[in-house]
Amino acid sequence: MKNAVREHREDANLSQGELAEAVGVTRQTINAIERERYDPSLELAFKLAAHFECRVEDLFDPELDADSTA
Amino acid sequence: MTQVQQTSTPRLSKQRRYRYLMYAFLLGGVAVGLGLRSLDYHVLSEAVYWVGIVGALVVWKGTSVTLFDERDKAIDRRASQLTMTVTAVLLIVGASVVRLGTQLGMVDAPPMVHGALYGYVSVAVIFGLSYLWVRYRP
Repeated sequence: MKNAVREHREDANLSQGELAEAVGVTRQTINAIERERYDPSLELAFKLAAHFECRVEDLFDPELDADSTA
Repeated sequence: MTQVQQTSTPRLSKQRRYRYLMYAFLLGGVAVGLGLRSLDYHVLSEAVYWVGIVGALVVWKGTSVTLFDERDKAIDRRASQLTMTVTAVLLIVGASVVRLGTQLGMVDAPPMVHGALYGYVSVAVIFGLSYLWVRYRP
Protein backbone atom coordinates (compact mmCIF):
# COMPACT_ATOMS: atom_id res chain seq x y z
CA MET A 1 0.00 0.00 0.00
CA LYS A 2 1.30 3.43 -0.92
CA ASN A 3 2.09 5.51 2.12
CA ALA A 4 3.76 8.69 3.29
CA VAL A 5 5.33 7.32 6.44
CA ARG A 6 8.87 8.09 5.31
CA GLU A 7 7.95 11.68 4.45
CA HIS A 8 6.26 12.24 7.79
CA ARG A 9 9.13 10.59 9.67
CA GLU A 10 11.76 12.65 7.93
CA ASP A 11 9.74 15.82 8.47
CA ALA A 12 9.70 14.96 12.17
CA ASN A 13 13.45 14.35 12.06
CA LEU A 14 13.08 10.83 13.42
CA SER A 15 15.09 7.74 12.66
CA GLN A 16 13.30 4.50 11.81
CA GLY A 17 14.41 3.13 15.17
CA GLU A 18 12.96 6.06 17.09
CA LEU A 19 9.64 5.87 15.28
CA ALA A 20 9.57 2.10 15.83
CA GLU A 21 10.14 2.57 19.54
CA ALA A 22 7.45 5.24 19.73
CA VAL A 23 4.78 3.00 18.22
CA GLY A 24 5.98 -0.29 19.73
CA VAL A 25 7.30 -2.22 16.75
CA THR A 26 10.72 -3.16 15.42
CA ARG A 27 12.77 -0.96 13.12
CA GLN A 28 12.48 -3.62 10.42
CA THR A 29 8.71 -3.21 10.44
CA ILE A 30 8.92 0.54 9.89
CA ASN A 31 11.41 -0.11 7.09
CA ALA A 32 9.07 -2.68 5.50
CA ILE A 33 6.13 -0.25 5.68
CA GLU A 34 8.14 2.55 4.09
CA ARG A 35 9.23 0.23 1.30
CA GLU A 36 5.58 -0.84 0.84
CA ARG A 37 6.45 -4.45 1.54
CA TYR A 38 4.19 -4.70 4.58
CA ASP A 39 0.73 -3.25 5.23
CA PRO A 40 0.36 -2.47 8.93
CA SER A 41 -2.59 -3.50 11.06
CA LEU A 42 -5.34 -0.97 11.72
CA GLU A 43 -4.02 -0.58 15.25
CA LEU A 44 -0.53 0.28 14.05
CA ALA A 45 -1.86 2.56 11.31
CA PHE A 46 -3.81 4.53 13.91
CA LYS A 47 -0.81 4.65 16.22
CA LEU A 48 1.31 6.07 13.40
CA ALA A 49 -1.37 8.62 12.53
CA ALA A 50 -1.68 9.63 16.18
CA HIS A 51 2.08 9.95 16.47
CA PHE A 52 2.25 12.28 13.47
CA GLU A 53 -0.99 14.02 14.50
CA CYS A 54 -2.64 13.41 11.16
CA ARG A 55 -5.39 11.24 9.73
CA VAL A 56 -4.80 7.65 8.65
CA GLU A 57 -5.80 8.69 5.13
CA ASP A 58 -2.95 11.22 5.14
CA LEU A 59 -0.49 8.41 5.80
CA PHE A 60 -1.91 5.55 3.74
CA ASP A 61 -3.42 5.49 0.27
CA PRO A 62 -5.26 2.24 -0.46
CA GLU A 63 -5.42 3.18 -4.17
CA LEU A 64 -9.06 2.12 -4.35
CA ASP A 65 -10.56 2.48 -7.77
CA ALA A 66 -13.81 4.36 -8.37
CA ASP A 67 -15.96 1.19 -8.53
CA SER A 68 -14.82 -0.19 -5.19
CA THR A 69 -15.47 3.08 -3.37
CA ALA A 70 -18.92 3.64 -4.86
CA MET B 1 20.44 14.51 12.26
CA THR B 2 23.61 13.42 14.04
CA GLN B 3 21.80 13.55 17.35
CA VAL B 4 19.07 11.26 15.99
CA GLN B 5 21.61 8.67 14.91
CA GLN B 6 23.38 8.79 18.25
CA THR B 7 20.19 8.16 20.21
CA SER B 8 18.89 5.40 17.96
CA THR B 9 22.00 3.25 17.70
CA PRO B 10 22.13 1.88 21.27
CA ARG B 11 18.43 0.86 21.15
CA LEU B 12 18.85 -0.96 17.86
CA SER B 13 21.90 -2.82 19.05
CA LYS B 14 20.06 -3.70 22.24
CA GLN B 15 17.17 -5.22 20.29
CA ARG B 16 19.54 -7.18 18.06
CA ARG B 17 21.62 -8.22 21.04
CA TYR B 18 18.58 -9.68 22.77
CA ARG B 19 17.45 -11.52 19.64
CA TYR B 20 20.93 -12.90 19.04
CA LEU B 21 21.15 -13.89 22.71
CA MET B 22 17.84 -15.74 22.45
CA TYR B 23 18.92 -17.57 19.29
CA ALA B 24 22.32 -18.30 20.84
CA PHE B 25 20.66 -19.99 23.82
CA LEU B 26 18.34 -21.99 21.57
CA LEU B 27 20.77 -23.07 18.87
CA GLY B 28 23.73 -23.33 21.26
CA GLY B 29 21.76 -25.55 23.63
CA VAL B 30 20.71 -27.86 20.81
CA ALA B 31 24.16 -27.96 19.19
CA VAL B 32 26.12 -28.50 22.41
CA GLY B 33 23.49 -31.01 23.55
CA LEU B 34 23.91 -32.99 20.33
CA GLY B 35 27.69 -32.86 20.70
CA LEU B 36 27.55 -34.13 24.27
CA ARG B 37 25.13 -36.88 23.28
CA SER B 38 27.52 -38.07 20.58
CA LEU B 39 30.18 -38.29 23.34
CA ASP B 40 27.79 -40.42 25.44
CA TYR B 41 27.13 -37.72 28.05
CA HIS B 42 23.39 -38.29 27.80
CA VAL B 43 22.23 -36.72 31.07
CA LEU B 44 24.50 -33.70 30.67
CA SER B 45 23.32 -33.41 27.06
CA GLU B 46 19.68 -33.15 28.18
CA ALA B 47 20.61 -30.64 30.88
CA VAL B 48 22.38 -28.38 28.37
CA TYR B 49 19.47 -28.77 25.96
CA TRP B 50 17.02 -27.56 28.61
CA VAL B 51 19.30 -24.72 29.66
CA GLY B 52 19.15 -23.57 26.04
CA ILE B 53 15.35 -23.83 25.86
CA VAL B 54 14.72 -22.13 29.20
CA GLY B 55 17.39 -19.50 28.53
CA ALA B 56 15.77 -18.57 25.22
CA LEU B 57 12.35 -18.31 26.88
CA VAL B 58 13.75 -16.15 29.68
CA VAL B 59 15.37 -13.75 27.20
CA TRP B 60 12.22 -13.68 25.03
CA LYS B 61 9.71 -13.07 27.80
CA GLY B 62 12.00 -11.34 30.28
CA THR B 63 12.89 -8.25 28.31
CA SER B 64 10.79 -5.14 27.77
CA VAL B 65 12.43 -4.67 24.37
CA THR B 66 10.16 -5.47 21.40
CA LEU B 67 11.78 -8.55 19.88
CA PHE B 68 8.85 -9.71 17.74
CA ASP B 69 5.99 -7.51 16.54
CA GLU B 70 2.92 -7.76 14.31
CA ARG B 71 5.00 -8.14 11.14
CA ASP B 72 6.87 -11.09 12.65
CA LYS B 73 3.50 -12.63 13.54
CA ALA B 74 2.25 -12.02 9.99
CA ILE B 75 5.36 -13.77 8.63
CA ASP B 76 4.74 -16.64 11.07
CA ARG B 77 1.14 -16.95 9.86
CA ARG B 78 2.17 -17.06 6.20
CA ALA B 79 4.94 -19.57 6.90
CA SER B 80 2.51 -21.72 8.90
CA GLN B 81 -0.03 -21.66 6.07
CA LEU B 82 2.68 -22.66 3.61
CA THR B 83 3.85 -25.44 5.93
CA MET B 84 0.30 -26.78 6.28
CA THR B 85 -0.19 -26.68 2.50
CA VAL B 86 3.03 -28.61 1.89
CA THR B 87 2.16 -31.06 4.67
CA ALA B 88 -1.31 -31.63 3.23
CA VAL B 89 0.05 -32.29 -0.26
CA LEU B 90 2.67 -34.69 1.10
CA LEU B 91 0.06 -36.53 3.17
CA ILE B 92 -2.58 -36.75 0.43
CA VAL B 93 -0.18 -37.86 -2.31
CA GLY B 94 2.14 -39.91 -0.07
CA ALA B 95 -0.63 -41.86 1.65
CA SER B 96 -2.28 -42.68 -1.68
CA VAL B 97 0.98 -43.80 -3.28
CA VAL B 98 1.88 -46.00 -0.29
CA ARG B 99 -1.62 -47.53 -0.06
CA LEU B 100 -1.91 -48.25 -3.77
CA GLY B 101 1.70 -49.34 -4.14
CA THR B 102 1.40 -51.76 -1.23
CA GLN B 103 -1.86 -53.24 -2.54
CA LEU B 104 -0.41 -53.74 -6.02
CA GLY B 105 2.86 -55.06 -4.66
CA MET B 106 4.81 -52.33 -6.39
CA VAL B 107 6.07 -50.53 -3.29
CA ASP B 108 7.28 -51.89 0.00
CA ALA B 109 7.44 -48.71 2.03
CA PRO B 110 9.84 -48.91 4.99
CA PRO B 111 8.45 -48.32 8.51
CA MET B 112 10.02 -44.85 8.50
CA VAL B 113 7.69 -43.79 5.67
CA HIS B 114 4.64 -45.06 7.53
CA GLY B 115 5.87 -43.25 10.65
CA ALA B 116 6.28 -40.03 8.69
CA LEU B 117 2.76 -40.33 7.26
CA TYR B 118 1.30 -40.91 10.72
CA GLY B 119 3.28 -37.87 11.83
CA TYR B 120 1.62 -35.81 9.09
CA VAL B 121 -1.77 -37.16 10.18
CA SER B 122 -0.99 -36.04 13.73
CA VAL B 123 -0.10 -32.55 12.50
CA ALA B 124 -3.36 -32.39 10.52
CA VAL B 125 -5.37 -33.46 13.59
CA ILE B 126 -3.62 -30.89 15.79
CA PHE B 127 -4.27 -28.24 13.15
CA GLY B 128 -7.94 -29.15 13.03
CA LEU B 129 -8.29 -28.98 16.81
CA SER B 130 -6.38 -25.69 16.93
CA TYR B 131 -8.59 -24.27 14.20
CA LEU B 132 -11.75 -25.25 16.08
CA TRP B 133 -10.44 -23.78 19.31
CA VAL B 134 -9.46 -20.48 17.68
CA ARG B 135 -12.69 -20.35 15.65
CA TYR B 136 -15.13 -21.07 18.47
CA ARG B 137 -13.38 -19.93 21.63
CA PRO B 138 -15.52 -17.54 23.69
